[in-house]
Amino acid sequence: MGLGDTGVASVGEVSAPPGEVVIAARGIGKAYGHVRALHDVSFDIRRGEVVAVFGDNGAGKSTLAKCLCGVETPDTGHVEIASHPVSMHSIRDAERYGITAVHQDLALAPDLTVLENMFLGREVVATGWRGRLGMLSRGAMAVRSEAALADLRIKLPSVRVQVAALSGGQKQAVAVARGAMWSTSGILMDEPTAALGTRQSDVVCELIRSTADRGLGVMVISHDIPRILEVADRVIVLRHGSVALHALAGDANGRDIVDAMVGYHEHGGAQR
Amino acid sequence: MPVVDPADVEEPAPPPRPSFLASLFSSTAVWILVIDVLLVIIFGFISINHTFWSIASLQVIGLDSATALILAVGIALLLGAGEIDLSVGAGLLLSSVYGGKVIIDLAGSGTLFAALVGLVVCLAVGAAIGLVNAVIVTRLHVSSLIATLATLGIATGIANIATGGTDLTGIPVALQDNFGVRAVASIPLPALVALVVWALAWFLFRTTRYGLRILALGSSRSAAERSGIRVKVQLATAFVIVGALAGLAGFIDLTRFATTNLAGHQTDALAAITAAVIGGTSLFGGRVSVGGVLTGTLLAVILQDGLVVVGLLPFYQLIAVGVVLVAAVFLDTRRTSGTLRLRR
Repeated sequence: MGLGDTGVASVGEVSAPPGEVVIAARGIGKAYGHVRALHDVSFDIRRGEVVAVFGDNGAGKSTLAKCLCGVETPDTGHVEIASHPVSMHSIRDAERYGITAVHQDLALAPDLTVLENMFLGREVVATGWRGRLGMLSRGAMAVRSEAALADLRIKLPSVRVQVAALSGGQKQAVAVARGAMWSTSGILMDEPTAALGTRQSDVVCELIRSTADRGLGVMVISHDIPRILEVADRVIVLRHGSVALHALAGDANGRDIVDAMVGYHEHGGAQR
Repeated sequence: MPVVDPADVEEPAPPPRPSFLASLFSSTAVWILVIDVLLVIIFGFISINHTFWSIASLQVIGLDSATALILAVGIALLLGAGEIDLSVGAGLLLSSVYGGKVIIDLAGSGTLFAALVGLVVCLAVGAAIGLVNAVIVTRLHVSSLIATLATLGIATGIANIATGGTDLTGIPVALQDNFGVRAVASIPLPALVALVVWALAWFLFRTTRYGLRILALGSSRSAAERSGIRVKVQLATAFVIVGALAGLAGFIDLTRFATTNLAGHQTDALAAITAAVIGGTSLFGGRVSVGGVLTGTLLAVILQDGLVVVGLLPFYQLIAVGVVLVAAVFLDTRRTSGTLRLRR
């Protein structure tokens, strides 16, 4: 397993994960026409923890992420940020509440440099008349980009290289660092290791951990169960739009998760 | 233990970002500049009494380049955003028609006044065509290729209807003498104006947020959208700017020849695209070589004027430019795919 514990975690020491609740889903439901994508989904994401969301294709993972980052508005239930119910109608709204998302396609412009990508849409302009002409302050952006990358122990040759010249893992790291830089509460990551090889996936997992250790709440949607399980604090499995399993990562093994994903207990073990 | 794929462990060090000069004149632009200089030298040697090197001959190159450069700068702006504008030649024509009509009407109240109003009309007509393009692309979601192909036809049609199919006459000659063919320190005024436009474009792409966002639109439209850039507004302003540039080119054309040229601008847009692409601007967005716009434009003009000076048919220019276009894009693609291979 690779987890350094004894395998049997006592309930007392892990039932209260550290940190305040930054994002909470409260009975979220969402339907597209007759298709029920989400039904009564509730869970918390706390500061400093990684919540892994697993589920088969069509289980509602993406819809859940969209509801949490403002792309979709839930039909029922609501999202709470720092224990206050909020209504979000766009990514902009979510960002105002300090939530950022790292999309599966990373949303990076390959022809632009790392620093230009990290500040895209939020560019720092120079002061005085230069600023009035819309002139960029690349120096200031470089300093802040480098600090954000160093924060997460990401090593790049320079923030002034084009993103197209980076490896897949480096691109993922840049997207995560950008999300972390603009987030004050939570960061949602969609399939962060999907396009990566083994070594780069491990690096990205370390990155996910250090993002949470920096004090952000992290939600990771993934198919990469064993690897994400190693860095997660809690696990949520979605099946047919509902929470089929909600456990501390130390209490769940890969088998439990897969069973919950395919609904093994519904049909076999325990008839409901 | 996870199985480590050895091929995956090596993370190739990406090449460092090109230096200031290298990014200003990306290598394609530099190569085209070298060809430009070689052509000037060759044509000069071949021409009788080296007339190609005379001030007058170089001034003609400057004049011929002026409108072409302005249009190519505009095209580069749109290509950078991942769009295209086939209507710039028609925009030039239509603005010169209406600008010319106004100048003729106002000629009695002083040439300077008439010229200034004419300039405003040219800019306004050009910008209006740009706005129409912008609305079709951003509101009707028609691709810019189709939208501007349509406005190319529409603007050309209106220009011909408005003039009854005959070029305007009666533009004051003073306009030619004082601007259209006037030279300051031996440099034709229209060429100076074009160089200012070119320098502004360089400034825009090199240092401003606007230029950066244009390239972001062309590099990844979805990334730009999700970063919060108001994509439609940004695109619309680009189309209007390009339209206004076509209007400026229309004014220059009008003052240089003191007439319109109804039959002469069908291929202007294609020539502008050619010049920009030869210079290293990507047809697919995200990459603009402002230096290459200048050297690419000069290449076409030098070939055209040089062939005439050495007594060859100017049609050879079309062949030569076509060959250079293919060669430049081929070398460019090979270079780009080379770096693509490097990073995987």
